[in-house]
Amino acid sequence: MIDCTGYQSFGQFLQGHGFGDTFACFFQKAPAEPEAMAGALWLIIALPLLGAVVCGLLGKSLGKANTALVACMSVAASFVLSVLAFWVTSDHDVLALNPFAPEPSHYSIAQDYGTWFAAGGFRAQLGLRVDHLSGTMLLVVTGVGFLIHLYSAEYMGHDEGQWRYFSYLNLFVAMMLLLVLADGMALLFVGWEGVGLCSYLLIGFWYSDPAKAFAGRKAFVVNRIGDFGFLVGMFLLVLMVEAFSHQASPDSFAPRGPYAPAAQVEKWRLGLAERGPLNFQGLEELARSLTPKANPGAIGLSTPIRQGPLEGHSFGGVLTAVLLLFLLGAAGKSAQLPLYVWLPDAMAGPTPVSALIHAATMVTAGVYMFCRLSFLVALSPTAMAAIALLGGLTALWSALIAFAQDDIKKVLAYSTISQLGVMFIGVGVGLFWAALLHLATHAAFKAALFLGAGSVMHGNGDETDIKRLGGLRHRMKWTWATFGVATVAITGVLPLSGFFSKDAILHGAHSATLLAYPGLTRVVWLLGLATAACTAFYMFRLYLLVFEGERARDAKLPEEKVKESGRAMTVPLVVLAVLSVGLVFHGLPLPYGGGQLRPMMEDYLSPVFRTSQLIFRETRVLEVHSEPSLPYGAWLTALLLAWAGLLLALYFYRKLFPSWAGKPAPALAKAIRTFAQNKFYVDEAYELLLVRPVKFLSFISYKVVDSLLIDALAVRGTAWVTLRVGAALRYLQSGDVQSYAAVMALALAAGIAYVLIRVAS
Amino acid sequence: MAVPITHYLVLAAALFCLGALGVLIRRNALVVFMSVELMLNAANLTFLAFARERGDLSGHAAAFFVIAVAAAEAAVGLAIIIAVFRSRNTVNVEELRTMRH
Repeated sequence: MIDCTGYQSFGQFLQGHGFGDTFACFFQKAPAEPEAMAGALWLIIALPLLGAVVCGLLGKSLGKANTALVACMSVAASFVLSVLAFWVTSDHDVLALNPFAPEPSHYSIAQDYGTWFAAGGFRAQLGLRVDHLSGTMLLVVTGVGFLIHLYSAEYMGHDEGQWRYFSYLNLFVAMMLLLVLADGMALLFVGWEGVGLCSYLLIGFWYSDPAKAFAGRKAFVVNRIGDFGFLVGMFLLVLMVEAFSHQASPDSFAPRGPYAPAAQVEKWRLGLAERGPLNFQGLEELARSLTPKANPGAIGLSTPIRQGPLEGHSFGGVLTAVLLLFLLGAAGKSAQLPLYVWLPDAMAGPTPVSALIHAATMVTAGVYMFCRLSFLVALSPTAMAAIALLGGLTALWSALIAFAQDDIKKVLAYSTISQLGVMFIGVGVGLFWAALLHLATHAAFKAALFLGAGSVMHGNGDETDIKRLGGLRHRMKWTWATFGVATVAITGVLPLSGFFSKDAILHGAHSATLLAYPGLTRVVWLLGLATAACTAFYMFRLYLLVFEGERARDAKLPEEKVKESGRAMTVPLVVLAVLSVGLVFHGLPLPYGGGQLRPMMEDYLSPVFRTSQLIFRETRVLEVHSEPSLPYGAWLTALLLAWAGLLLALYFYRKLFPSWAGKPAPALAKAIRTFAQNKFYVDEAYELLLVRPVKFLSFISYKVVDSLLIDALAVRGTAWVTLRVGAALRYLQSGDVQSYAAVMALALAAGIAYVLIRVAS
Repeated sequence: MAVPITHYLVLAAALFCLGALGVLIRRNALVVFMSVELMLNAANLTFLAFARERGDLSGHAAAFFVIAVAAAEAAVGLAIIIAVFRSRNTVNVEELRTMRH
């Protein structure tokens, strides 16, 4: 029967609690055959893609309602398939053959569609895979995606370009699903670029406004910088895998079950020839054999590469470089320091886009990518430290900026950057499951917040300034209630989903130490705690200013004209609010077999992160202090910090303002506020340090290289020379046939004379 | 006593040079045309001389081919000359130099 230690599925959980075998087996066995499901995986991507094509080509003639219907239903169908795929993989007996290792992978289904392209020894494969990691992401992407499509049907109902909007949005979902389902870095990169393209298209959706078109361009250009790092990292990784395949010997592989190391090397090489060097399973086996072993002949992290372009560098060094380059890519896509500047500007797009792309799904691609490569991350303490520190700094930095933003969407944008930073902390301290759990809970409550903000704007004549709203709780009851729940979830003043997912990360940062960088996790933990307190403050500031108190005197619409949004908008809000509460179940430590208290998500994702946990155990780079099974102390700290933020916000925005209304604020506070309001002048600094020099350089190269060298010298110069030579030579054409014949005869005679002389001499 | 091949070749070369000279210096298009025919026949003469020397028939075939081409050329060339005379009222090649820079 079921013979695993933890509960990898809901069914097993129920069984462990005496719900009976029948009930457990109902949840255990999905109503679909694993083989059939694997064969249908491509449909999950193809359906939204088809929706995009239909909306894009026929949308104008179909009419608005039909376009919305096609778009929503294609994502809904994809969601149903995703649920099935997720369900299928919850069974331990569901296996996918691992071409790189003798034993198959449990809890996963995979489908290979043959070679995509091959060049020399390199090969990229078209393959899709669902395991617990991509299954969770599938549910987030299609679930939240469907709700946001539904919401958009009303939100964008009055827009001229509604068909264009749904086409882009469907294309985005397809690309995101490709990113999630891809079974190799090459295919993942296609999705990675695809979502970037859709993000650009949707940020600049209202392209007739130059500022919005510029925001789209900015997002695209900043992402290019990150993608450059990502691509170079991928090339390095290919070279490293090639070097490993040259040097691999049976010494590098530990005997596993009945399989001898020699057979494993053979199998790995076969897998490499079949699936190419960028396949995730191949990389996982590589990571496994790079872990230190007692065997002296084994390839380790410090073994130098013997041949190829990377000759002389050690495997560990190259791996760290690869991961740092991936970190640059992830910083671009997931809006981390120093490349976060595009995300606040991305709020120029329609609000549902901000909710789907710039909060729930696309910006989490970096976190997903690192979770996918958890086994490589676990091998490099330097990369882990860099990821954790970058996440911590970004989290606090953007939380501080969010303090003084007055645009409702800008506050949420900086909050997203900050929460993504928290997820990066989770990755950096080796708690991949917590990062993913925070990703999922964040997708729920941040989507609810963004959609709530959209609803507020919809009902208030597109007003985004929170100073000019206020008192909306009476007029927009559904929006108010769901926004309130989501605010509580993100800040953690009550232990809802966000509390546990964020706290799992902070708790992990507190209890773990990277031995190579002592003290770093402590710094990161403090950064995280400060972020948590700041989050509570700015989120409640937002909530209080928008929904509580009196309506602002300079509001755009009078209070009686404000009205609640329609069903299509409030239903997604309610569902997302329920999810923000309901996901608490996945983060709550629950009693499992053996009397251990572990969050469900940790158990659920343990098959995916098995190799990284193995590496942590073997390399001992990460020391985890033993903690009591229930971290009451840490929870109390987190609660207290959140309440401190909440009370501070209440103090400032509910009580302090009326009494201070007449008095001018102190100069220092004003200066700090201006500083934060202007986003710490990062955009200005980039403008001065990067944009201006680059513009100057391009001006120089335009004037010298393009205008002078290419245009004047090369292009017009060639034309001028040809013209002059032609003008001189045309006088040879006299029109006199006999002179032409004379020239011919003379030339012939000269040629004959030359030949005769050559022969004679 | 058979005539040695050198005689034929010298004669053919002399005819060819006469023809070439005619093409280069005569003004009348008709005469130029006739000079071209002379050159062609000089070439024919060398073909036949070598064919006789080698004792095979391929030189004869080439000569027949040249005669056929010369006939076609004469037909087209004379037609052109007549057409030119009709439009320009002259067949002097020195005056026919409109195709110039």
